[in-house]
Amino acid sequence: MAASGSGGSRADNGYGSQQQQQPRRRKGPGALATAYLVIYNVVMTAGWLVIAVGLVRAYLAKGSYHNLYYSIEKPLKFFQTGALLEILHCAFGIVPSSVVLTAFQVMSRVFLTWAVTHSVKEVQTEDSVLLFVVAWTITEIIRYSFYTFSLLNHLPYLIKWARYTLFIVLYPMGVSGELLTIYAALPFVRQSGLYSISLPNKYNFSFDYYTFLILVMISYIPIFPQLYFHMLHQRRKVLSHTEEHKKSE
Amino acid sequence: FVSYQVEILDWKTKKQLCFLDKVEANATIREIRLMFHKLYPRWYPARQSIKLDPKGKSLRDEEILQHLPVGTTATLYFKDLGPQIGWTTVFLIEYTGPLFIYFLFYFRMPFVYGLDERFTSSPHPVVNLACICHSFHYIKRLIETLFVHRFSHGTMPLRNIVKNCLYYWGFAAWLAYYINHPLYTPPSYGKKQINFAVIMFLLCEAGNFSIHVALSDLRRNGSKTRKIPYPTKNPFTWLFFFVSCPNYTYEVGTWISFTIMTQCVPVGLFTLLCFIQMTIWAKDKHCTYLREFKDYPSLRMPIIPFLL
Repeated sequence: MAASGSGGSRADNGYGSQQQQQPRRRKGPGALATAYLVIYNVVMTAGWLVIAVGLVRAYLAKGSYHNLYYSIEKPLKFFQTGALLEILHCAFGIVPSSVVLTAFQVMSRVFLTWAVTHSVKEVQTEDSVLLFVVAWTITEIIRYSFYTFSLLNHLPYLIKWARYTLFIVLYPMGVSGELLTIYAALPFVRQSGLYSISLPNKYNFSFDYYTFLILVMISYIPIFPQLYFHMLHQRRKVLSHTEEHKKSE
Repeated sequence: FVSYQVEILDWKTKKQLCFLDKVEANATIREIRLMFHKLYPRWYPARQSIKLDPKGKSLRDEEILQHLPVGTTATLYFKDLGPQIGWTTVFLIEYTGPLFIYFLFYFRMPFVYGLDERFTSSPHPVVNLACICHSFHYIKRLIETLFVHRFSHGTMPLRNIVKNCLYYWGFAAWLAYYINHPLYTPPSYGKKQINFAVIMFLLCEAGNFSIHVALSDLRRNGSKTRKIPYPTKNPFTWLFFFVSCPNYTYEVGTWISFTIMTQCVPVGLFTLLCFIQMTIWAKDKHCTYLREFKDYPSLRMPIIPFLL
């Protein structure tokens, strides 16, 4: 292939033509996009609150924390899948995050929701499912309300603190729940040959879902610590910055 | 006759790394790089990024000191680009890998399909044909790297070679595994499908080669400046009427034909990834052409005529 793509940097940072028209340094979301994002984040906050309430009610009704998945199955699927929109938000530039990073995070959640928990019915009764659902629920309620308040320029310190602190417990909790669930699904995938195709076939392709799940589990080893320490680093930056602001007032 | 003084600062720390006295006004950046290299032997010229502004673009070797917006005491900034490797070296390593890796599978080395199948051969003629085509493709690429391509950049960062090799070698192994597998299934439409694919393959390879030669001829006198490529007498180059990067168009065509020939999903996936990557490169190139040349032909699209 010809001599292109040597990791090129863009000298005009992608905003070239607009620099001449507007003296602003950064193109943020317009008023319409902001309104849409506020609605989106409010709806998502509400959705995960519904899941939280659903879990509590089911727990109180059943008297035990086993098999609570079934009471929140539909809203969980709906709102977690809805997060796919966030990839489009980045792609259209109304949210300043990286498309690749966001896609990766959302897809991993959607994968666990549909390709593991939904597809392998036998794991739906596992307690590990509750572990990650609770972690996700608390995390998402805080995250979406954080975005809502940020967009409205009225971010209570409590929400900011919660977002950058609770992850310390919630993140390992969620990861544990996810790994245990995938692990529990393995024997059933092996037995049923779920999502697997073997040779010979006219597509000359083979795929072993069992091996794939094991590789997914292994991939947590390099990925999780990096994300975790990144969040810790962000925490130090964000929370100490606010402290300085408070001191100077 | 004025002589300049040049101080070179580290782009991040702004620490003075060197001070060059009595530099000629018509000295080129290449000469300044050589002087800097003498003082810092481990920073050979290819890994020096010399710029006017700490966050700016690297100055080209051909730039002349007195033509730069600097006073008689010029301040330049240095950034270490890390270990570099020549483009030719990179391509040779990237392309030799798939060539030999495919053979490991074609000849069914014992560790590939198990001891029972070792050194056996496939009953399907298309498997032999696929090996010939795949090998032909990479041998052609090696020949082009050695004799045809003229690279505008001399080097790329060393870490790129690990990433690139993993990609090329990995995919070569993955698709070779299925094509040469004892349980391989030949194409559904038999000889018709295979013959069509072979013809398409040969046409695209010829086309790709023609474009590479045409592009190389633009730089025949060793110049590094960009020129607009135009169609020549060779009919394969007439694609230049419609696209900026017909070499990529033909390349995608080659891989599509290989997919049809082998009817193998991994080959199809590789083709898709190639298409995506080359579309990105083509769009970049196309934008560069549009920016540099006011009279750039308006009919041309980056990679697919009229569409993309």
